Parts: sequence; structure tokens; C-alpha cells
Amino acid sequence: MDAFLAGMATLTDPLILGMILAGTVLGIVVGALPGISGSTTIALLLPLTIGVSPIAALAFMGSVYCAANFGGSITAILVNAPGDPSSSATAIEGYRLAERGQAGLALGMSAVASAIGGIFSVVMLIFAAPLLARAAYSFGPPEYFALAVFGLSMCAAIGGDGRVKNLITAALGVLLATVGIDLTSGVERYSFGIMELSDGINFVPVLIGLFAVSEMLDQSTRRAEEPKLISMDAAKLPTGADFRKCGRAIGIGSVIGAFIGALPALGATTAALVGYNETQRWSKHKHEFGHGALEGVAGPEAANNAAVGGSMVPTLALGIPGSATTAIILAGLIVQGVRPGPHLFNEQPVLLYAVFASMLAANLLYLVLGLGMAKLFARISLIPPTLLWPAVFVLSVIGAYGPNQSMGDVVIMLVAGGVGFLFRRHGFSPAPLIMGLVLGGMLEEALKQSMIIFDQNPLGFAHRPIALLLLAVTLSGLLGPLLLRMLRVVRPQKEAV
Amino acid sequence: MRAQPDRLCAAAVAAVAIAAFAATYGFDEVPPGLAQGLGAAEFPRLVCLVLLGLAVLLALNPASRKPPPRVPAAGWGTMGLAIGFLPLMMVVGMLPAMLVFLIALGWLWGERRRGLLLGSAVGLVAGIWLVFVRLFALSLPGGWLGDRFFS
Repeated sequence: MDAFLAGMATLTDPLILGMILAGTVLGIVVGALPGISGSTTIALLLPLTIGVSPIAALAFMGSVYCAANFGGSITAILVNAPGDPSSSATAIEGYRLAERGQAGLALGMSAVASAIGGIFSVVMLIFAAPLLARAAYSFGPPEYFALAVFGLSMCAAIGGDGRVKNLITAALGVLLATVGIDLTSGVERYSFGIMELSDGINFVPVLIGLFAVSEMLDQSTRRAEEPKLISMDAAKLPTGADFRKCGRAIGIGSVIGAFIGALPALGATTAALVGYNETQRWSKHKHEFGHGALEGVAGPEAANNAAVGGSMVPTLALGIPGSATTAIILAGLIVQGVRPGPHLFNEQPVLLYAVFASMLAANLLYLVLGLGMAKLFARISLIPPTLLWPAVFVLSVIGAYGPNQSMGDVVIMLVAGGVGFLFRRHGFSPAPLIMGLVLGGMLEEALKQSMIIFDQNPLGFAHRPIALLLLAVTLSGLLGPLLLRMLRVVRPQKEAV
Repeated sequence: MRAQPDRLCAAAVAAVAIAAFAATYGFDEVPPGLAQGLGAAEFPRLVCLVLLGLAVLLALNPASRKPPPRVPAAGWGTMGLAIGFLPLMMVVGMLPAMLVFLIALGWLWGERRRGLLLGSAVGLVAGIWLVFVRLFALSLPGGWLGDRFFS
């Protein structure tokens, strides 16, 4: 209780409040800019957080993460160009409403549903994360190994063209994590005599290259259309009748979002799409969907913001990222010298409750800002790409150079940008690579320790029920779709016979 | 023919996996006294084998997708400017290189409003100088010219 109150008290610190306000405004702004997602922004601004305390850094990153999802809905509704991938489901009904002259109502419902979903998930985070951490407190290296394997296997569902491609990028990330001196034997691996690689590959330049530079290169191959802002009224607070109509959608979206967010690797985009489908399925006004259903805005918006708090649960309690963005936040914490996991709840409870408090504050703040200034934020989407993307590159250079003041890091960023661009062109999502890079060290360490515990006999995992269960779930998750496909092939053949 | 892009990707991934696997034989030997359990090379080898297996799976189940569209001239130009940024920075320093890059890339992407292009570039570089150099006391590379005339 003392830690909880101390965490809440951090909101009285002007620096923390300033970081939350800056993070929220920045989150809405970048969320509204098509192409620049919350994950790109956090990767880009990660170096700025190194100079401040871990609480301030987490408050800033958490606020950007919370607000970017809402910001994406502004342009999804007004321009039909989701600023953030997680708002793509919102665009389906939101833009139709805007075309019908109800943009203000759609924006108002988006802000309210987002805030309710976000606050619901933070409350869930406050209760679930310590419980999960307590359960994980008894975990040993075998359980952590199995957990990391499970987290990586969940990358299969992240995005891109297919499960195998996502697993390939995740494995490449794990391989990258082995670069540098092996801490147990002192042997240099894959450093090829380059001094900068001896300490391993820094997260920051890789993150910036993969997310920001590769996106700029990708944008250069497409001729972006000039966005057109639909005329609108100011955002309107939904009426009691609107709430009665959308209450079920908000509830469904919040629960689905928090649950999906809590699964390792699955983030806000998946949550929003599932939230939209389920809202439609349980709606009493199914006929409105596709023609501008207000529930179709409320459901996915509640879901994508609920996924934010949900994805922080495994990130903080287990050290396993719940999404691509939390993988970047996790990398930022590691750079700060903080290693999330169950021990963090005993060692630095104030830090955690401060994070919860700042996320609650960010959710309330973007509700106020969203209702009051949505029209102004929407204008941000009109910044010409000819000015925006060169600026992103310049900020990427300074972001990669800043933390270590190393030109080597700028080179790594450029290489990562080129690799990320190739990934995008060929349907590989860059997010699993980050998951692999972040989890790779833990995976190797846990496997080595497990093998020592098991006297080099891998069958030892069979005697650890939790590890065995996690490995079985991983295996069934990976092989399930393959078996289903084989069954589908075999059945028609039998019927034909 | 439709599946060729994914098969090419699979071949590239397999090549990376094989090269990384082979490179593990170049790692230094661990003294027998220190060798305990999995060594420095075993884990990377395991990952390489997983990668190779996934590459085979991708080759066997390629998605039926069209090859990616050709990179237009603006795309190649952007890549050239991004790569050229490094040598330019080594000569003129980071801030002037940023100014040149902002103007050149904006022009390449079709921005012809000179005042807007120049104003936004100068404004951004000035902002970076203010935040990173003045506020965070970051020392940015001055380049050959900077070292010659200002140090």
C-alpha cells in the first residue's frame, strides 16, 4: 500500500507531470501522422529518455504508447488514413460516419471508448501484474526458457505475410543477440574484430533503423496521396443514448483488448481487429455495420487502448514483451539498467506503481485533449510527406548517435534501415526481430543454466510441469495450424474416394 | 513462377544460417577448465539450425504473392542520399550535413516551395542544435571542415 501511494505521489512531481503531458501530446501527434506509429516514435525518442530517471522515462514512453493509439483514430475517422496500424479497424465505420457529417460524434466516441478501455486495462494491470509476478517468483531457468520460447512463438501472429516469416525474423533477432562476448566463456562471437561489436549490438540504433529509417525508405517507393481533411464539427461528447447503444461494444472491446494485449507478442492491432469483429457479432444493430456504425468505432477503440495496459502485464511481470512497442519499452528499460521481471515488484515497487499512475493520467489527459483539440490534431496529418520524412531521417541519425556518441551506431542504424526495408518489401514484419533481439540473451542464459541443472539432459524439462506446459502450448500453437491444414487436405480426398 | 519471391527469400535466409553456422567454427576455443555445459558456439548453432529449418518450410510453402514492385528513381535517390549522408558528415559535420540532406531529400520527393523547404530545414536543424547541443550538451561530429576551422 505504501508503494502504491508513493507511486501515485510521483504524479505531484512537475518533471513527471511534464513528461506525461509531453508524451501524451506527442503520442496523439505521431498517432495522427500516417506512417509514424507509436513504436517508431518511442524508438526514435529512446535516446532522450536515457538522461532522465527510469520513472520519468517510463512515464514518457507509457504516455506515448497510450496516446498514439487514440491519435491514430483521428486521421482514421477524418482522412480514412489510419495514423497508427491499430486504428485500421476504426477507419471502417469512423470514416463512413464522417462522410455522413457525424465526424464530431465519431471522434467523441473514439476518445471516450479509448479512455474507458485504457483505464480498464491499467486497473487490470495494477491487479494482474503483481499476481503474475508472484506466481512467476518461483520460476527457475527452465521455466524462463520455456516462457521466452513461448513469447517468441507468439511472434508468428504479429503481422507481415505469414507465420513462418515472422518466426524467421524472430530467429534472426535471437542470432543477432549472440553477437559480442559470451559472458560465460569470454569468447567473442560474430564480432569479426570490430571493436564496436564486442559489447554486442546496441538495441537503440537497430530499433531506430528497423522502424524509422526503413519506413522512410518504404515511403520513398510509394507516391503518397495528398491527404484530404473531411469537414467536421468539434468532437462531441456522446449522449446517454449513444452510451446505451455502445456500452456493450466498449465492454467487449475492453475485455478482448486487455486479454489479447496480455498475450506475449500480440498487440493493439490484433486486439482492434478482433474487437471490431466481436462487436459486430454481438451487436443488436448489425445492419448498421459497413454504413457508419458508432459501435464499430467504440469496440475497436476500446480494444486497442485496452491492449496497451494488457501488453504491459507480461512486460513488467515477466520481462516478456507483450507487443512490438513494449519490446522497445523493455529495451529502453534495459538501457536504463532496469530488468523487468518478478523481482522488480519486490525491488522497485514504487517504479511500477508510478508507471501505473502515469498511464492512468495519460488516459485521462488524452480524453480531455482529444475532446478539446481533435480538430487541431487532425491538421497534423496535412504536413507534407516531403518535409516529414526527411525530418524523420535526421532525427533518426541524432537518435542513433546520441546515447554512445558513436558513429558505429549510425552505421548500424543505416544497415538496420536497409534490412528493415528489404523485410517490408518481402512481407517480413520487423517487429519479431526486436522480440528476438530483446529475448535472445535471456533465452541463451536460461537454456545454459537449465542444462547445468539437468546435468546436460534435455529430458529434464519433462520433470518441470510449468516449463513442460509452456513448451506443449508453444508446440501446439506452432503445429496446430499445420495439422489443421493437413486435415483439410486429407478430408476432401477421402470424400472424393 | 508466382512463388519465386518467397523461395528467393528462403534461399537468402538459408545462406545466412549456413554462413553463421560455419562462422561458429572460427570462435576461439574455450579452455577445458572453463568448459561447462553449453559452450559459446552451441547456442548460435542451435539457432542457425532452427533458421535453416524455417527457411526450408518457407521454400516448401511459399505464399502466392506478386514480386514487390520496382523501386522508383526517387527510392534509389533516397537510398543514395541516406548512404551519402555519412561521407558528407565526415567532411562538413553533422549539422550542415543534416541541412543539406533535408533540402536535397525534400526536393527529390517533389517539394518545390523553396521558402518552405529552406525554412523548415533551417528550423529543424536549429531546433536540434538547441535541444541536443545546448540543452543535452551533446558534442556532434564537426567533420573535417569543422576540425580545420573551428578547433
